[in-house]
Amino acid sequence: MKKTRLLLLFGALVVLGLLIYFPGHKWARKHVNYMTAVTDHPLKCTSCHLSTSKNAFIVKMLNEDYFSPFNSAVSKDGSRLYVVSQDLDQLLVVDTKEKTVLDHIMVGVHPHSVILDQDNSLAYVSNQWSDNVSVIDLATSKVVDTLDTGNGPSGLVLSADGRFLHVVNTFGSDLSIIDLTSKKEIKRLVTGSDPTGTALSPDGKTLMVTSRRARMVPYGEPLVSDLTLINDSTQLITKHMDVEEAYLMENIAFTPSGDLALMTLIRPKNLVPTVQVEGGWMMTHGIGVIEQNEDGRIVQLLLDEPNSYYSDPFDIVISPDGKMAYVSNSGVDCISVISIDSIRAIIKSTSTKRLETIANDLGMSSRFVLKRIKTGANPKGLTLSPDGKKLYIAEQLEDRIGVIDTETLIKEKSIDLGGPDRITVARQGRRLFNNAGHTFQNQYACYTCHPDNHEDGLVYNMAGKDMGRNVTNTQSLREIGDTPPFKWNGKNQTIYKQDGMRFSTVLTRTEQFSYDDLDALVAYIKRGIKYPPNLMYNPHGELSEAQLRGRELFNRSEDNLGNVIPENNRCITCHPPPFYTNLKAFDVSTLAVTDDSILFDTPHLNNIYASAPYLHDGRAKTLEEIWTIYGQDDKHGYVNDMTKMQLNDLIEYLKSIRASEYYQEEETEQQASFVKTD
Amino acid sequence: MAKKAFFKNSGSIASLLIVLVIGSLGFVLPDTFTNDHKQSVVNAGSSAKKEIEPTRIKADNPMPIYGNWKNFTSKNGLPGDKAYCVKIDGDRVLVGTHEGLAVYQDGKWKTYTTEDGLAHNGVLAIDVSKQTGDVWLGTMGGLTRWSTGTFENFTQMNSGMPNNLIYAVTCDGKDVWVATGGGAGHYDTYAKKWQIFTEENAPMHEPWTYGVCAGDGKIFIAAWGGGVVEYTKKTKKFRDYVDPDGNMEIDLFPDDGIVHDITTGTSWSNGILWVGTYFGLSRYDGVHWKGYFDHDSGLASNFINFIKASGDVVFICTDKGLSTTDGNNWITYTKNETNTNGKAVLLTDTHSTEMTMTPSISHNYTIGVDVEGEQIWVATSKGVSQGELLKQPLQ
Repeated sequence: MKKTRLLLLFGALVVLGLLIYFPGHKWARKHVNYMTAVTDHPLKCTSCHLSTSKNAFIVKMLNEDYFSPFNSAVSKDGSRLYVVSQDLDQLLVVDTKEKTVLDHIMVGVHPHSVILDQDNSLAYVSNQWSDNVSVIDLATSKVVDTLDTGNGPSGLVLSADGRFLHVVNTFGSDLSIIDLTSKKEIKRLVTGSDPTGTALSPDGKTLMVTSRRARMVPYGEPLVSDLTLINDSTQLITKHMDVEEAYLMENIAFTPSGDLALMTLIRPKNLVPTVQVEGGWMMTHGIGVIEQNEDGRIVQLLLDEPNSYYSDPFDIVISPDGKMAYVSNSGVDCISVISIDSIRAIIKSTSTKRLETIANDLGMSSRFVLKRIKTGANPKGLTLSPDGKKLYIAEQLEDRIGVIDTETLIKEKSIDLGGPDRITVARQGRRLFNNAGHTFQNQYACYTCHPDNHEDGLVYNMAGKDMGRNVTNTQSLREIGDTPPFKWNGKNQTIYKQDGMRFSTVLTRTEQFSYDDLDALVAYIKRGIKYPPNLMYNPHGELSEAQLRGRELFNRSEDNLGNVIPENNRCITCHPPPFYTNLKAFDVSTLAVTDDSILFDTPHLNNIYASAPYLHDGRAKTLEEIWTIYGQDDKHGYVNDMTKMQLNDLIEYLKSIRASEYYQEEETEQQASFVKTD
Repeated sequence: MAKKAFFKNSGSIASLLIVLVIGSLGFVLPDTFTNDHKQSVVNAGSSAKKEIEPTRIKADNPMPIYGNWKNFTSKNGLPGDKAYCVKIDGDRVLVGTHEGLAVYQDGKWKTYTTEDGLAHNGVLAIDVSKQTGDVWLGTMGGLTRWSTGTFENFTQMNSGMPNNLIYAVTCDGKDVWVATGGGAGHYDTYAKKWQIFTEENAPMHEPWTYGVCAGDGKIFIAAWGGGVVEYTKKTKKFRDYVDPDGNMEIDLFPDDGIVHDITTGTSWSNGILWVGTYFGLSRYDGVHWKGYFDHDSGLASNFINFIKASGDVVFICTDKGLSTTDGNNWITYTKNETNTNGKAVLLTDTHSTEMTMTPSISHNYTIGVDVEGEQIWVATSKGVSQGELLKQPLQ
């Protein structure tokens, strides 16, 4: 009897289980199909729900703290290497002989570069997310001073006499000159857009600053980027040189004789449909050679080969004898070894007319690239030992310093910085994001168009072959995890869809990511990319008077005449905090004639100040232009009753909007206060 | 080089000699033509020490005299005849014309227009940042930053700038100020932020502003119908200086304040604020105002287009010639109606002296002026004039 009961109970459980399993499985399949936009993604809940969780405990369990070395500097005697750990806000002191880490010095937020003074008593570290430079006494390994800079300090160089520190401000697009006696910034010079690299000529006369973004031009015009020349003595700009059809000029170096300066660069073909990548030559990567004579020509040479691209050239260093240059190709994990004498010979033997077109010649690299040396994941900053015999490579996503013997051009044992051995899902995703291996012939990585996980300021034609134009402004990827749908028209409901099959069809033109890789990539994009603090417009969370007035306008429900503004035409309706988007689609009357007739996904406004140009096709160069030129019909919010001063206030408020976390905190605090009041 | 010197009013031989000696050095010493001759000249070439009469304005430095005029029009290098402004920038001269920016360097003119990147061809104001060397150009269609070859435009459409019609621009450290048809604008080049000042948030009569200058930690805005609006940078507070007589075209009570509320320019130097109006000139030393008119001074005309103070001297562009003064002594440059020659009239309390200028300035309708070292440039409605500080004895 008892056995029968047990059997009945078991049978009931089986029936119940089947009743739950089949509809449950069906629901789960449907859910996963919807989220991934494919029908065969494994039904593994942990794929999405674990590695993209925001639960603090789970996040701590899943993730690791990596050093992520970014740049370095070596002491005069070659015994010490100072390594910038960008993710842990540290400067690591490394014994180059023993290959061990001797010290960890805490610096500012998100450090970028390090340089040493002439007698190696001080190190200067630029802190890109705290707008200052840490001055470190190398004898005591202590931060002895902090120098205020412009917005987003990156590249550093001392003046020839050592009295002034030049700091490149990436986010501010200018250069701070700091008097090291008074420790004050004495002037700020305008540079090209989004600059980082800088170098002083061997004669101490000319300082060069590279820019990463091109000047803003209407879609259809070829891009031009800026190379800024500054007289070190007068501290004035002497020239803004045009670098045509190139951008992302990350770093620059002079030959010891000073006859040439070499910089890394990328040549994008953003005006042709991106599917052209399968024909090659969509995004090419190389160097710019700047002759230091009266002509001052800039000759561009590609590091790529006809069927193999060497994406994302980042740093460049030149050997003490001036014969060799080394370039880190971050997107393909290798170092390109360059013969500078071969470059000199190419320039000398090539006609001026031919030099104008040589920049597109994929065969040229065979004449000056001597070797490609594989490195760990995502090589960034390079440093040569004073005798030029060792090349140190900051392998950012390998968490170690690679070492190359420059006489044999063979890699030695790397320097382990002591980071975690485990590669987390998010870390794997970051590696994929930075690696061009998933694009046809390695032409570009996600990072190429999204430098700093942000956007490159360009407008691309995303149309398929023979499909006309589909002009799209590159979007920032910072903290987009909670702002679905994606793409300007909201056609992609998830990042899975955005980066899955569609990605390989339209962008990479090769095999799509495996599901494990796609899981990792999505996990990194959803949770691994943070906003830099909005130090330019809202450093402390306290709004200025203009911003407060602007907030009133943003939230207003009546116009200047007291008329009620329809609810769907108020700023706050479509752009509510914390993400400043209601995640819905709307017609704001900015459809181009070449666009499909469709609504626009309402974009989030967090850190919107840093995302020019604006609107889906980048037609508005500034926030003002959204309304002064492209919002005259009042369909993108009711604004035309505003005075110029009111519009300025509104825009000042928009520029003050920070990362969503601050507004989520505000909401939590408000809710807490309501509970307390109740 | 002036070829002749005429003396309209006969004076003592001593006065004549003094004029000749000082003229030979390119200066007229202030207060050297008084009846009692009680000022003692220590060094005519550099500075003068003298007793100051209680009612007189102190003037320590000699008045510069310019001559050897050379004129440029569309016939010899300028893109057009209408020159609005001029700025000496090291070894080059920048001239704002109706047809673009003209740059004079190494004896050659080069023109930049909207095709090169200018916001508008009508360039009304120019200033150069001492800090960065950037040239800021106020045009009829926006503000242009010209940084060694690259042009960046700020307009009312693409930025927070108040209005595209820019009458004046001045660089003050990291800040750039503009006087526009829609208010005064302040641009912080570090923070990249604009502020607008109009009658809504500043003591102005209306948003129309004509001039702006910086000095003594303050910004002085010439506000149309609103006199001078003073902005103290440290406190971020405004105050205004208006005509106590209201908008009357006559100055009822002399020296009681600014001569008129319709101001066209401000310029600050050596602790003195000079204010140009369409009804005369004002001088303010921080305590007292003093007014100057064409009927009681050497001022060429009450209709003042532009002023520029340099050292103790102010240069005043009027519709009837260019005047300079230190508050006591005057020199006015004019052109003859019928030919290219003209004259410089030197006026002190008691004496008036004329010098023939062959040629003289390009036109009597003067709109802009700049001085640097030994050269002066004047923008007129018929080209620009380049003058030299006179050093040779007058002929």
